[in-house]
Amino acid sequence: MIHFDEMACLLYLEGQLEPQRAREMTLHIDECPACRALLHALERESHVLSAALTEDNEPMPARLLSTRSWGIPSWVWTLAFGVFASGAYWLWTDSVDPWLQQLSNAGFGGTDFLSMLLFSGAFWEGWGDMIDVLQIAALVIVGIGAIALIRRRLRRSTAIAVVMSAMALALVLPSPAAATEIRHEESVIVPASEVIHSDLIVSGASVRIDGTVEGDLIAFTGMLIVTGHVTGDIIAFAGQMRMEGTVDGNVRVISHTATIAGAVGKNTTSVGNTFDLTAKGQVGGSLTAIASDADLDGRIHRDVLGIFRSTHLDGGIGGQMSLRGRNLAIGPTAEIGGPASFRGLRQPVISPGAKLASPLHIERLAENRRQIFSGVRLIVNGIVGYGVALLLGVIFVTVFPGFFRTTLHETGRIGLPIGVGALALVAGVFLLVLGGLLIFVGVGAGVAGVLGYAPILYVAQIFVGAWLGNKILGEASNPTSAVIGRIALGLLILHMAGFIPVLGALMWLAVALWGTGAILLGFYRMSRAEPAPLTV
Amino acid sequence: MNPADQANEKEQIARARAGDAEAWGELYRQYAPAIFRFCRRTMPTREDAEDSTMDIFIKVRQKLSQYDSTRSFSAWLYTVAANHCWDLLRRRKVRQDLETGEIENMPLEHPDPGQLEQLIERRTSQEVRRALDQLPARARMALVLRYYADMSYDDIATTLGVRRAFVGVVLLRARHQLRDILGERGAASPPWRAAGGAT
Repeated sequence: MIHFDEMACLLYLEGQLEPQRAREMTLHIDECPACRALLHALERESHVLSAALTEDNEPMPARLLSTRSWGIPSWVWTLAFGVFASGAYWLWTDSVDPWLQQLSNAGFGGTDFLSMLLFSGAFWEGWGDMIDVLQIAALVIVGIGAIALIRRRLRRSTAIAVVMSAMALALVLPSPAAATEIRHEESVIVPASEVIHSDLIVSGASVRIDGTVEGDLIAFTGMLIVTGHVTGDIIAFAGQMRMEGTVDGNVRVISHTATIAGAVGKNTTSVGNTFDLTAKGQVGGSLTAIASDADLDGRIHRDVLGIFRSTHLDGGIGGQMSLRGRNLAIGPTAEIGGPASFRGLRQPVISPGAKLASPLHIERLAENRRQIFSGVRLIVNGIVGYGVALLLGVIFVTVFPGFFRTTLHETGRIGLPIGVGALALVAGVFLLVLGGLLIFVGVGAGVAGVLGYAPILYVAQIFVGAWLGNKILGEASNPTSAVIGRIALGLLILHMAGFIPVLGALMWLAVALWGTGAILLGFYRMSRAEPAPLTV
Repeated sequence: MNPADQANEKEQIARARAGDAEAWGELYRQYAPAIFRFCRRTMPTREDAEDSTMDIFIKVRQKLSQYDSTRSFSAWLYTVAANHCWDLLRRRKVRQDLETGEIENMPLEHPDPGQLEQLIERRTSQEVRRALDQLPARARMALVLRYYADMSYDDIATTLGVRRAFVGVVLLRARHQLRDILGERGAASPPWRAAGGAT
């Protein structure tokens, strides 16, 4: 007997056989047990396939269960945007602009302040180190996060809640418990007879404190003179600052010229053009300062860490001294109790009368060599930067695969993440400025703010790189090595393009906006998701 | 679906089309599990399936105005889902099947029905799913379109970009590959495959 083949049997079963052949087969299977058995077996196979495919063996992931995003009508987004815009406007007119005005009154207006910070003085020297610090900070944060999440004991939402709580706590902790007196006048004078029993916040063209402040003194002014007694810290943003009195706490100051001619009980931190510690001046703790010119004639009981273009030391240092800059002159009356080091361009001049506990350790930076090797250094920096970024990418793919995929997915939407990134940048610049100031006054929230935002900007390149790699090599979600290969290619292209003058910088700006937006969207998506158990 | 449910669904679709977020939410809740399962069966990883499900519903919402309400909504949804997943798989340049459309490549031997039934009965649904995961993308997609989404041969042909007459070949070959995986791998002649005649 001639049988029908398996193809014909399958088509017959599925009603796809031409009518004539279907009739023939119907007649045939009545007589042929073999073909009948085959049809039965194929039918059973179809049932088994359908059952296996349709069986509900796996729960829906929580992020798909949520219909919140579908449920939010567009007017809510419009309202939210309106509220956001109003908030931003209020923040600017009520907080940022007055601050800028105050800073401007204090002599930090516009380019003057920027040029002072960036281009004049020794501050420029520190940028290389700052980039290193940023990269290390990014790695450390990713590492800590990785350790925390690898345990997988905490649910993602709990982990995020913990981090957010910690940041909120950091913001709340420094809020002063005591009452604060605020004075804003053209010229603020606290006479010698007056005692202020709280913190004092002052602003004005000039501020003079001859009396006593039993708390912190926070000043925004063109000219600050303290001849009285401050039992807490002095935090000052001033054109000029002269401290002739007594401060039991710390002095933190951003000032074009800062002069300490009195006694500071604890530490002193200063950023400005000139820092002068007169012969009568004393710092009970350490001095950390960045300035173009520094005269250190007074006594510092502990360490000195400074970046000064030109340093003149005639006073005493109880602890160790570490200086960077161009010139260093150590006079005959100088004393250094601990190890001393100088890293700079010129050979330091040390008076024979100076008393140094140990010989000055000198590291000279040769100007010519720096110029010759600056190109090589640029390339080496580029390679190291690429390596660090790639390493971060590998860590992301292996340690946070879910977050990586979600964020990469968001990156692919292009327009939305760039928009979110641009908004975040506007908010972020404000946070960075605020964070920078807060770091300066030693508030943990500032540290948290800067350390939280800077790595996001840095990590942005990984996702844009991965997206670029996917576009070139085609998408890959597995295996991990294929994903890493795509990140490596994308990052390589970005880093190569980064060398192009002007366009490279514009590209990095776009990458920062795009990637930051994608990361923020990724955080948002992940915060709405609960890990569901795998049952397949 | 009874006529009342159908009418209710039509109304929901009409409301969702008009921008009613609640109606859209209802539609989503109703169909998301099935579409997620569809994606889970066709895409290589769970994460891919999650992402695809989201993307499919975003597309569906955008294309809702193009939906022809005389057709079944679920069939239209599966068509969108199938196109999305198949596009994604193709863009990833997954290893393409070696099929060239030549029917001569098909094995024509008559399988031993008894052995075949035994092979099928021995395997659990989970084993069948695992075997499906190992199939080439096109074979897996064809089986899912036919035996999960219940798509017609015409729709399968359109989605996979093959001639309609070739759909049966793709399906049968996919079954053979599945049997190979489920059966004794590497055997010169799998037990379910016995010599037989052909028309």
